[in-house]
Amino acid sequence: MVAYVLPWFRTEHARLPEQTIHDGAPVGRIALLGADLPGLRPKLLCEQGSRIKRGQAVFHDRAHPEVVFASPVSGVVESITLGPRRSLSALVIRSETGQHEPDPVIMAMSTAADVRAALLAKGFWAAFLTRPFGRIPEPDAVPDAIFVTVTADNPHAPDPRMVLAGQHDVFAAGLKAVALLTEGTVHVCQAHGADIAAGLGDRIRGAFFPSDGSCGLAGTHIHRLYPVGQGRSVWSIGYQDVLSIGRLIETGVHDFSRVVAIAGPRAKRPRLLRTIAGASLQELIGEESQPGNHGAPLCVLSGSETNGRKASWLGRYHHQITLLDDAPRHVNAPERGMMARFRRASQIPAPLVPTGALERALSFDVPVVPFLRALSVGDAETASRLGCLEMVEEDLAAVSLACTSGADYRRMLRHVLDELAEDA
Amino acid sequence: MTGRLLDSHLMQQRRGWTPARVTLAQSIALAGPVGVSLAERGAVQIAVLMTALVACLAWELAFDLIRGRSPSLHTVTAALIFAILVPATVPLWQIALAASFGVVFGELVFGGRGYGIVSAAAAAAGFLVFSFTGASLSVTSEAVALATLPGAVLLLWGGLISWRVLASVAAVLMAVELARQGLSGLPMVLTTAVFGLVFLVADPVASASTQWGRWVYGLLAGLLIMLFDTLAGSAIGPAALVFASLLASLFAPLIDHLTVAVIVRRRGRVHG
Repeated sequence: MVAYVLPWFRTEHARLPEQTIHDGAPVGRIALLGADLPGLRPKLLCEQGSRIKRGQAVFHDRAHPEVVFASPVSGVVESITLGPRRSLSALVIRSETGQHEPDPVIMAMSTAADVRAALLAKGFWAAFLTRPFGRIPEPDAVPDAIFVTVTADNPHAPDPRMVLAGQHDVFAAGLKAVALLTEGTVHVCQAHGADIAAGLGDRIRGAFFPSDGSCGLAGTHIHRLYPVGQGRSVWSIGYQDVLSIGRLIETGVHDFSRVVAIAGPRAKRPRLLRTIAGASLQELIGEESQPGNHGAPLCVLSGSETNGRKASWLGRYHHQITLLDDAPRHVNAPERGMMARFRRASQIPAPLVPTGALERALSFDVPVVPFLRALSVGDAETASRLGCLEMVEEDLAAVSLACTSGADYRRMLRHVLDELAEDA
Repeated sequence: MTGRLLDSHLMQQRRGWTPARVTLAQSIALAGPVGVSLAERGAVQIAVLMTALVACLAWELAFDLIRGRSPSLHTVTAALIFAILVPATVPLWQIALAASFGVVFGELVFGGRGYGIVSAAAAAAGFLVFSFTGASLSVTSEAVALATLPGAVLLLWGGLISWRVLASVAAVLMAVELARQGLSGLPMVLTTAVFGLVFLVADPVASASTQWGRWVYGLLAGLLIMLFDTLAGSAIGPAALVFASLLASLFAPLIDHLTVAVIVRRRGRVHG
């Protein structure tokens, strides 16, 4: 009883995933998702039923034709769904195993122009996200620094050192290529231990962060090492994407494979699975889930427990699949009379009580209560002066959970960032 | 903006404070002082407590009904604090009227607990002192002060009051007392002030909400308490605490605004 009323007393913890890599169930269908590419309007280069090869471009950004998106598998385009305002909803590809895989093509990657052209043409450009705004960079942009995130942002994520084990040469090749895209520093942010980026020249530097809480998020790394604002922009990239780039350089093979952790209270055997970006979660999970309490339905999240989204496909930037009990559905029988007036579920956030937990939940040096108030009313100017340009949605997940209001500050931040991006 | 609330699976995961949990924790913290005051004053205090509770909850229910919200009990804390502040000699109708004024104009008109700018209990106590001749507030006894301490620890631990506010206001009170009468009066100052400091001045909603602002707010509240204190000797009058807390919380948004301006200027220098 106490556990439901007062905080701190709840002790149920899902088991941590076993940090050994297993092959995931083979997936027949993968998808390129609009949810990963917000605001992007695609120009399709294939149609339903087209036969495509791995690494072949399937669409490009209408605003920047250089930024192409490639298929991670060889197969047939099963369906293309468009969302509102001609955005992409999902492009589903059914893989065909017997098909002839394309021959590896090793591209010249020794100059900045070569690397840029190769990453754009091969569909790896979307691996980078800009800060401010958290969007795919323009094809000709040059960042002031690049942050490689080699940290786990929560204990249920895969341990990067485990994923990179035995592949340090490939990773180093990827890092060297990425470093050509900037004149500044490449910060390789990692948990304490042996420096993964040792001996790669003075522009590729290791930075070490404790492996707890929000210290694994790229936003925290950028805030500590190179705070961004109106005048400066940096890119961030995940370690598995650097690995893919390294493999493209070394072998010429398109590799969109991912090592993801399958975790959460409903996971039968929490462990690491090797699969592919965009994999169908239904096929991947298959037998991996166990029945929940009181027959609760299964909730599949692509991403972590706090930051993931309900999804049927593995997200482009996600390294984790979380299986939870879904919230029980309340059947709202229409009521009449006095009591019905009390029973209406609130659609507006509860008040923001400035508790000490808010300061602890935000890992940025900003006055948290004025900042959250500015976000709640959509005051873009104040929010930007207080430092919202340093953040993206994932940085506010913890503070949204800690706040009394139950408001989703991530959406409010996105609203404000979009407004600021339009002005910029 | 659509979809301002967290998704259902995230709502389920919330392990931190919600408004109901805040109210519950504050009520638990208040249980000690309320119990002691009941033991000290006897049956008369029960009538005072019930009057305050009924008045506050009736108004809250009425506002929930008008606004179409689920019924809540957030004004319980205001009623409990107010019942400890008023002496049992005050007529019950005056208590009901003052409590009604406090919760309606202190928090319900703003939208309820957490939306207002002053502490509802302080507004009720202030109204009582201003409106009725002869009505005064009771000086908290040593037993009530002692019973406040476990609650204060609970609230500090949960982050529902800020140690910065408490530290700076206590520092001001002690410094002034040391300058005026030396060491001997210090225990008296702390005994008479601790209940008001924990439950009125340090109220999380009414006090400043930035870290530096909290120091300034505590400083201001301490100075105002000393300015308003008309009792002879070292004891601090409850009315001084109430009015200092009301006035200081009116200044809290200004303090926050200035703090944010300083922080923004410093950020501008650092980030270029």
